[in-house]
Amino acid sequence: MNPSSQKTPLGRRSFLHLAAAAASSAAGVSAAGAVGAACRPPLPREAGRTVATLWFSYGGKNREVLLDLVSRFNASQARVAIRATFQGDYFEALAKLRTALAANVAPTFSHVVGEVIPYLARAQVLEPLDSYERCDEFIPQLGQKGAFRDGHTHPTVAIPFNRSTPIMYANANLLDTLPSTWDELRDTARRLTRPSVGDPRWGFEVPISWWFWVAMLGQAGGTLIDTDGTPSLGADAGERALRFWQTLVHTDRSMRPPAGRDYNAWQVTNQDFLAGRAAVIWTSTAFLRYLEDTASFPVIAAPLPKDLRASVPTGGTFFVILRSAPPEEKEAAWTFLRWMCQPEQTISWATRTGYLPVTQAAVAQLRDSGYYDAHPNDRVAYEQLSAVEPWPWVPNLFRIQRDIVEPRLEDAVHRNLDAHAVMNSARAAARRPV
Amino acid sequence: MRPRKPWHPAALLGPSLLLLAVFVVFPVALAALASLYSWDLLTPPEFVGLANYRALAEGGELLGVALRTLGFSVLVVTGAMTLGLAIALLVHRPGRLFALVRGAVFSAYVVSWVAVALLWMGLLDPDAGLVAAVLRALGLGRVGFLGDPDTVLATLAAVTVWKVTGYAMILFLAGLEAIPPVLHEAASLDGAGHWNRFRHVTWPTLGPTTAFVATTSLILSFQAFDVVRIMTQGGPARASTLFVYAIYEQVFLNLSVGKASALTVVFFTLLLALATLQLRAWRARGMS
Amino acid sequence: MKRALQWTAILLALGIATLWLAPYAWMLATSLKSLKEIAAHPTSFVPREPTLRAYAEVFAAIPVARELLITVVMASLIALLQIALALPAGYALAKLHFVGKRTAFVLVLACLLVPSQVTFVPVFLLFAKTGAVNTMVALVTPFAVSALGTFLVRQALMSVPDELIEAARMDGASEVTVVYRILGPLLRPTLVSLFLVSFVFHYNDYFWPLVMTTDESVRTLPLGIALLREQGTGVRWHIVMAGNVLLSAPVLVLFALVQRQLVRAVAGK
Repeated sequence: MNPSSQKTPLGRRSFLHLAAAAASSAAGVSAAGAVGAACRPPLPREAGRTVATLWFSYGGKNREVLLDLVSRFNASQARVAIRATFQGDYFEALAKLRTALAANVAPTFSHVVGEVIPYLARAQVLEPLDSYERCDEFIPQLGQKGAFRDGHTHPTVAIPFNRSTPIMYANANLLDTLPSTWDELRDTARRLTRPSVGDPRWGFEVPISWWFWVAMLGQAGGTLIDTDGTPSLGADAGERALRFWQTLVHTDRSMRPPAGRDYNAWQVTNQDFLAGRAAVIWTSTAFLRYLEDTASFPVIAAPLPKDLRASVPTGGTFFVILRSAPPEEKEAAWTFLRWMCQPEQTISWATRTGYLPVTQAAVAQLRDSGYYDAHPNDRVAYEQLSAVEPWPWVPNLFRIQRDIVEPRLEDAVHRNLDAHAVMNSARAAARRPV
Repeated sequence: MRPRKPWHPAALLGPSLLLLAVFVVFPVALAALASLYSWDLLTPPEFVGLANYRALAEGGELLGVALRTLGFSVLVVTGAMTLGLAIALLVHRPGRLFALVRGAVFSAYVVSWVAVALLWMGLLDPDAGLVAAVLRALGLGRVGFLGDPDTVLATLAAVTVWKVTGYAMILFLAGLEAIPPVLHEAASLDGAGHWNRFRHVTWPTLGPTTAFVATTSLILSFQAFDVVRIMTQGGPARASTLFVYAIYEQVFLNLSVGKASALTVVFFTLLLALATLQLRAWRARGMS
Repeated sequence: MKRALQWTAILLALGIATLWLAPYAWMLATSLKSLKEIAAHPTSFVPREPTLRAYAEVFAAIPVARELLITVVMASLIALLQIALALPAGYALAKLHFVGKRTAFVLVLACLLVPSQVTFVPVFLLFAKTGAVNTMVALVTPFAVSALGTFLVRQALMSVPDELIEAARMDGASEVTVVYRILGPLLRPTLVSLFLVSFVFHYNDYFWPLVMTTDESVRTLPLGIALLREQGTGVRWHIVMAGNVLLSAPVLVLFALVQRQLVRAVAGK
């Protein structure tokens, strides 16, 4: 018995029934809803094929590559058809997915950020995949088993797809040796900063975002959530990471905190780098190809610098199949996922975008074909996987990210608030029961 | 008049009242109830009493959102009213040019918020935008606009003013139409100049219109959402998280139905307070 | 002196016209440029090599015609339902005596004070439970009754003489005939205003369709256009502006056709 439902005088059922009863007794909305639902375009079968719906969230080039892969898959066989729907950026798409789950209108499958998987798994909305036919062997740090601490103790619910890590990029016209420690980064940033009203340049730029803070927390020797589940948020290391940003922004004035929320800030970082307004940036390996292709200068990639040690989190998303979908749609989605995990598709996706190749077979094939010799930046991204720190498997993780840490980070950096007080309040909020 | 059959009024009013009950009265009640629960839509709800309100109040979030929204509204109302009145006075005269200006200013009010918000994002874009280029040409450097927590709210308010000034202008023009020309002629004969005529004739007669425009735009700007959702998503550093966006964020991004409902209840209470002001203004305009 | 004043007025008017028209011009110009030209000449109002490629990309990225159709159907349905329901309700409130009339009127007035921003969370839950999310029902029914429309119709009917209705009743007209055949045409100007304001508002609406839909089945055009601003690898402004042109053109054309009525409707005259 769920302990929470005993305390609850008004369980989920009665709560919802209240809404439903009022609606149906009053206006016959249920009937109207059913009529409306019947008017929707038919989904299940299309020329004898099983149709699986996929909600995706890539913009620009990535979207083109994914849609190209989907249409190649649809053309490659006659049994299954994938219908892909664009849903905005990760967080927008995730919001739509969660509301759709609540409203029973979820798609067959989608892809979500790693941080939310423990939560979705606990809510039992993800299809366990262990009984399905096996995919190719994944790179350990990128699959569920290695991307999460004790990931193997939970049923497999997530298949790695567009996976990435943070990485450092530099404008090779401005520097040739990249900083390998925080101290060196600070010096480099100061040296390359050019204050000017009309044409300023910042030595360093990184989105003030959870992901990079987690990276720095790890580099400073901390752990986000202790093995016993205590959300220490890295303790001193978390504060040290925040303070390092504040020093660069306010004391040295060598880093620009890029403007905008979520991916707006990432985009600003890219734009500043490409326009020569930022000499060194941290962003995702996912932008590797885009930055190389768009920049008017040579771009060099390097691992993130160390503080006490090297450490990076993984990012990007995993494919998940929704449990609510009919079995034949789930099978259809799985057929597509297995196809995507074949070396040809994995390599096509990775080399055209900059996301990491997720299977052993794909990496071996790239290595043998001399790809990494021709593309040293891709090699840096791949080799940095040895420094990956897995995420804790904590259902609260996503809430800690979105509700507790992310808003505080932005505020603390912009207004130069006391790092200790900020992180203390974050820890208190994280410990509070949901 | 007496209804022909006793059940006629019920039949005539029934559908309307029923729909209002389902989509207005019942939701307000359900929001009040849901604000006492912690619920993420996917796992069972849990009764938490006033904890949602407490959490919002303790973090200073509630006060922050309320003050920010009020500040935004005040900026929008003063801006749109001043500009609207000034433009109305300017274009309240015959001629094609003035008709063109009336149409141009009003058109922004008719165009979708999505289009206006995206358009101004483009205009304000630090690289591709017109405004940034003009500022650069004037040697003013880069202004943060949407990217700086200190300027973002004023920027959103300015864009909103651009969008809604047409509304204020139209109402002021209607008010100006209603002033009998005799009054101005009499004042001119008494030797009153432009300014005095405005002060003693135009402005007092426009009083009810002014109150009406002020309260209506106050309430409308208090409900601003599209501009935030499209241009800033409440950032940077939450500096543009207005009330409705905060509710939206809680329910759809954080899936926290309880907190969203608590915010809704507070938001509704504030709106009711503003609406009392509005009803007074409506009566005044109705009488004039 | 007078002449100088006249010239000042003209100059000011030109300045204001520029402030409001230049953004549209820039939107149109940008939609006709290539990404390269935007980077090189972001501020020019005349594209050097005008191209319709951005429009082609919009049509490839979103089903424009379908979304436009959904939007127009939705806005028309709402506006028509509001009129169809406001007429009988306004008639009862303006002309008939019955127990509870005052309460009913106060209830309608009270609903004026509750915007959809207050009700959307519970209404979403209700539609989620009844399976109406992603249907026209979720987009239309919550707006089928307009408290403001009911109020305005009632006000307009107050000035219609009772004798007219009595005469119709003598001729054997049913209440339905009285409401829709006799009073309806009489209130034409009010109803046209109501239709226009409501249609334009709901055509443009972003908020409600955003929260009531999760997929493409009834995605309206404003939602589709807003999605064109993809993030991460640089906004492709020419595509966004092309979408913007497609979104605003119908409303601006409508505006040009019925400017007088629309202005009157908004001014509440």
